[in-house]
Order: sequence, then C-alpha cells, then structure tokens
Amino acid sequence: MTEALIVRGLDKTFTKPAVMDLDLTVHAGELYALLGPNGAGKTTTLRMVAGLTKPDKGEISIFGVDARADPAAAKALTAWAPDEAMIYDKLTPLEYLEFVAGLWNVEPKAAKARAEGLLAKLGLASEARRRCEGFSRGMKQKVALAGALIHDPKLLILDEPLTGLDAAAARLVKDMLQDRVRAGGAVILTTHILEVAERMADRIGIIAGGRLLAEGTLDALRAQAGEGKGDSTLEDVFLQLTATPEEAAA
Amino acid sequence: MTLTAPGSVLWLLAHETRLYWRNFRAGRAGRSARGLISLAVIGALLITGGVFIALGLHGRQAPINPLSVSLAALFTAVVFTLMLSQTLSASSEALYERGDLDLLFSSPIGPAKVLFVRALGVAGGVVTLFLLAAIPLLLPTVIWGHPGWIGVFGVLGALALSSTAVGLLLAMGLFALIGPRRTRTVAQVMAALVGAAFFLISQARTILGEQTSRSLFADITRQAQEGRLRPPPIASLPLRAMLGEPLPLLALLAGAMVLFALSAAVLGRRFSDAAAATQGKTDAQPQKGGLVSARAFAAGAFLATLRKELLLIGRDSALLSQVLLRVLYLIPTALVLSRNAANGTAAALAGGAGVVAFLAGQVAGSLAWITLSAEEAPDLLAVSPAGIATVRRAKLTAALIPVGLFLALPIAVLAWFAPVAAAWTTLGAFLAAWSSGLINVWHQRPGKRSEFKRRGGASWMATLAEMVVSALLAGATGVAVAGFAPWALIPLFLAGAALLSLRRSDAQIARNLRTR
Repeated sequence: MTEALIVRGLDKTFTKPAVMDLDLTVHAGELYALLGPNGAGKTTTLRMVAGLTKPDKGEISIFGVDARADPAAAKALTAWAPDEAMIYDKLTPLEYLEFVAGLWNVEPKAAKARAEGLLAKLGLASEARRRCEGFSRGMKQKVALAGALIHDPKLLILDEPLTGLDAAAARLVKDMLQDRVRAGGAVILTTHILEVAERMADRIGIIAGGRLLAEGTLDALRAQAGEGKGDSTLEDVFLQLTATPEEAAA
Repeated sequence: MTLTAPGSVLWLLAHETRLYWRNFRAGRAGRSARGLISLAVIGALLITGGVFIALGLHGRQAPINPLSVSLAALFTAVVFTLMLSQTLSASSEALYERGDLDLLFSSPIGPAKVLFVRALGVAGGVVTLFLLAAIPLLLPTVIWGHPGWIGVFGVLGALALSSTAVGLLLAMGLFALIGPRRTRTVAQVMAALVGAAFFLISQARTILGEQTSRSLFADITRQAQEGRLRPPPIASLPLRAMLGEPLPLLALLAGAMVLFALSAAVLGRRFSDAAAATQGKTDAQPQKGGLVSARAFAAGAFLATLRKELLLIGRDSALLSQVLLRVLYLIPTALVLSRNAANGTAAALAGGAGVVAFLAGQVAGSLAWITLSAEEAPDLLAVSPAGIATVRRAKLTAALIPVGLFLALPIAVLAWFAPVAAAWTTLGAFLAAWSSGLINVWHQRPGKRSEFKRRGGASWMATLAEMVVSALLAGATGVAVAGFAPWALIPLFLAGAALLSLRRSDAQIARNLRTR
C-alpha cells in the first residue's frame, strides 16, 4: 500500500507544547480523521503537514517527498482547506480559481475546464462571475474547496471542512471526498462532528495534549478504549479515551 | 435616568471612544516606543514652530479688513473642503462596514441615536486630526498675547460638525440616487475631487492655459491693494470667530450643531435601511456570460498573481480614491511641464519633471504598500508551491503598471516637444516608483486587505524613506532635465545609499511574514 503521508516524531512548542512526538501514517486511498478536544493539537499538526507551521523537529513525508527538505515539491501534491475559507472577497469564484490554478502551475486550458466543472458540481455555476463578498459562509467554503481541488491534489488536508455548510452541501462535499479516496487520493481531516468521522473515515486518530492517544479503525479504537461491545459509538470511545483522570474517576 | 445610563448617547459615545482608543493602542503608532517617539518629535517640532509664531505675532493685532476677511474666508473654505473629503469618505464607509452595526440596529436603541454617535465619531476623528496640528502651532500665541485666538479651535469644531453633516447628506444622497452598488466607489472618487478642489481651482489659470501661474492668494492680495475687494459682511464671520468674538463664534458653532443634529435626526432611519441594504452588495454588476468565459486562464504563478492584484487594485475604491487624488495634483504640473516644453524653456521644465518623478514614487508607494503587504489569503500563498520571489515580483509589477499608465500621456506629450527631457523624466519616474516598490518589499507589514484602509498601518520609517528617496530622485530628475546631468549623480548617489541602508534580505523579510 502506498503511503500518502508519513509523520514521525513531530514536535512543536509555542508557549507550551502543542504537539509532542507525533507519529501517524495515512495511506493512499484512505480517509483519515484526526479527532481531539479543543486545543489538542489537531490544527497545529495539519498546519505543519501543509507547510504553514515549521515543526521544531520530526519528519514529514508526502508520497515519498520529504516535505521539510523540498517543501515546494510536497506542496505541489497537497491542498489545504481550513475552516475559514482562504478566498478574496473582491474576486469572483472563476477569478479565484484562475489564481489558485496559476499558483499550482496548472495548464490554463485544463484549469479552466476543471474550474467550470468544479463550480458546476458544487452548485456555484450561477454564481461563478459574481464577487465572493456577498456570499454566505457556506458558499465561500465551497469556493475554497473548489480551489483546493483545482490542481487535483494527491493529499487533501482539511481542517473542519463541513463548518458552515448546509445539509445538502455537506453531503455533496462528503461525496466528493469519498470520490477522491476511491480514485486513489488521500484525505486527512479534522472534525468535531464525530458521526462524520464514524461514517466516512477509514481510520481515526485521537489526539489530546499534543499526543496521539489511539489510532485505527473504529473497532480497533473500541478495543483500545476497552469498550469491547460492538454497539458503542465513536462518541463513547472518544470520551473514554480523552477523559481527564478526574473525569475518568467520576 | 442619568446622562450616562446604558443606551444613552453619552453611554454609546463612551463605548465608541473606548473601541477607538483600544484600536489605536493595538496599532503600531499607539503601541511601539518608536511610534510614540516619532509622535513626540513631530509634536516638539510643531510646538517650536508655534513658539516662533507667538514671538512674531506678540504685540500685533490682526486687522479686520477686506484682505484679512477674504483670506480667513478662503482658509475656512479650504479647511471645510479638506474635512468634507474625509467625512464623505468616512460616511460612505460607515454604511458598508459591518462592525457592531448589526448588533446596534438589532438592539432597542433608535437608529437616529446610533447614527448621531457614529457621526460624532466621524466629526471627532476629523477635528482631532486638525487640532493635533493646530494646537501646538497656535497655543503659544493664544497663551502669549492673543487669548481670543482660541476661537480658531472653535471654528475648527464647527467646520468638523458641518462637514460631517454635509458628508452624511452627500453619502445618503448618493445612496438614494445610484444605489448601494455604486455609492462606495462614487463617494470615494467624489472625496478625492473635493479634497483636490481648491488646489485645482487655484491652478485654474494654469489648466486653462494662461502663460503665468498665479496663486489665488496673490490674486486676492492684488485685488485688496487695488481696493477692488469688497467681501459681503457675512464673510467676516469666520475671521471674527477665529479672533474670539463671542457672537460670531457662537453663531458658527450653533449653526454647525443645528445642521449636524438635523442631518443625524433626518437621516437616522434611512441610515439603518441603507446600511442593511449594503449587506452583501458589491461595487460592480455581476459580469455577464454565466459560467462559460471566453477568456483564457492566466498561465503560471506570476501571471495569475499579476492578474489577481490588478483586479483587486481596480476594485478597491478607497485605494483608487487615494491614487486619483495624487493624479489630480499631477494634472496642473503635467500641463505646466508640457507648456514649458512647447515654449522651449528647458530650465523651467526641471521643477515639473521633478514633481512628476516624486508623484510617481508616491503613487507607486501607495499601490505597492497594498499589493505587497495586504493579502487576504496569506496561507493560500504559503501552502502553494509558487516561489515567494515570483509572487512578490508579480505584486510589485502590479503596483508599477498603473503608475506607468497614468504617466504615459504626460510623458508622451513631453516627448513630442522635448525628447531628452522626456527621457530623463521617464527614467526618474521609473526609478522613484521602483524604489518605493522595493522599500515596500523590504518593509512589508502583512495583514488583511480589509485592514488597510489607511496608510496609518505602514511603518513610519518606510513611509518617510519613500518620501526621502522619491524626493532625492525627483531632485536628480530635475537637475538632469535642467541640463546639469553630472550634478544629478549626487542626489542619485544619496538615494542609492538610502536604499542600501533600507535593504532587507529574503531571510529578514521572511521573519516578518506569517510563515515564520
């Protein structure tokens, strides 16, 4: 199995340690959900993988490319979409996608065709030439997602991708992510909606206090949490694994 | 209920003041020791100037005659238009900036009260700016022999209130006439025109083609000497108020307050409706053509970034207003330059050529500041494989293209009559623009575009350096055009030395950016 992302011994300290000695692997054709309570280190981890935050130490390999030694080559393979859409209010979705395609050096003709296809698929065709400043949060998220997909990335890094989306849009995005995984791409995402992780993720990592507490399929996590029964939900497992000593005692 | 009870005007005003003060403290000027030191130095310079003025005016009384009345009225009109330029711009922005407007309008506080306080904030901001210059310059004179001149501060207050009222009326009038989509842009353009109005009027003779350029001041003085100046009695009101005569001062203040209160009361309801109507409105009509566009996508990071920056410049009404203001100041200069070139007066060309180079540097500085430092999606650039140098080059090019466009015509005319002077001017303007761009590359202050309404966020040192380098290059251009090209090397060398001292390596720049 091809490894899309390998993280080894990742450390990052701001005023206090944010991520400590983190190891994780995401395979090609896999959707990996990174879960954790607020301040657990999820976003910091993803930002380091995306090349936005410099790790203090550790290794990051994306489809065999050492992301720390050759960041440009690694970035060419990835896309990053945070919960706050990285778009320009004064540009139209089509202009935005043109800019993003240019940054990733996508051949203009192919980029244009892909942009039109993505906007149509995301239900933004009628808004393609309207400036984003009047868009709702969900529409902006969809434009940003189209931007993340315009260069056909092999690894998608998504921080809370469903924030602000209505039910129909959320379903559409989930379907698009599943399509990419089926096509051999890899997705790593964070979410607070545990049902999404439970239903979509091939494997789940649970992080708290900057450390990876558990990792695996839902069944593997149940086993690690000591919740042997097959009917315990991811929420039960998550709460069990991330409980503080006081919470566990109670 | 007390005056400061929650929901009262004073309570709301205290809230606005607190927010303004905290924003100021959060800004660099209010936070850094260097910012405070520079403010203190400017203050000390102004006070020194004020002391000299007080020394010069001690024991002299200001006469009330046609000349002084006319000059005071002219001063009042100039200050009013300058203030109006700012209040018109601020009033239109108040409609579009959400801030806490939605919270206030969803509360039981009446919209007229909200507008009244917002308008007071606009007036307060404008008068503060003028008082910051006027107080240190005039206070020594007021203390030492001319206590009545404290009336000048009252006149400034009255002008701020009335210009805010007129600014609000104009903004709301525009809104009613042309709708939310165009009001912002038109108001900003109008603000630039109003701001430059007196300069353009004073240069009317130059623009209309008379041989000699005479100032309005010289005209008024000459007419007064010839006894032809007979201003109407009401024209003496500003002068008398400035000299501290109670009745004229009270009349001006009362008139301004009534105008201000009336406009806030009348426009209150409309303001909340208009502010609600601006939500989600863009400056331009959506382009036609649906999803399918005939235009090809730009190829590569450089062209894509260049295109994006040019689109953003073209859609930034506040930035266009700033640039337009400078272009308006350039028009008379360019006309004088062309006329002198046509008459073959090479020496007379020098000043004009220098001004063109200086303005090129200033406009490029304004644009480069926005294109290089203001970035809505810095993370997008950081996660892309595009090289930072490529993106930076594209942004700098985007800042220089509009400068080239607005200089093209005057330089083409100049080239027709005086090709050598045109070549020097082109070179000087290019160097000045490029230098300003480089300073902005080296001294970026990354932030969101929406936070870049004013140049206030720029490094004061970078702004000062841009002015100094532009001035040196303007000097070099002027000297070269005057026919003393070897002497141009001196300011050129000084400008180069200044640039070298300002230069920052890529590593130093990177430390300033978000990816650090």
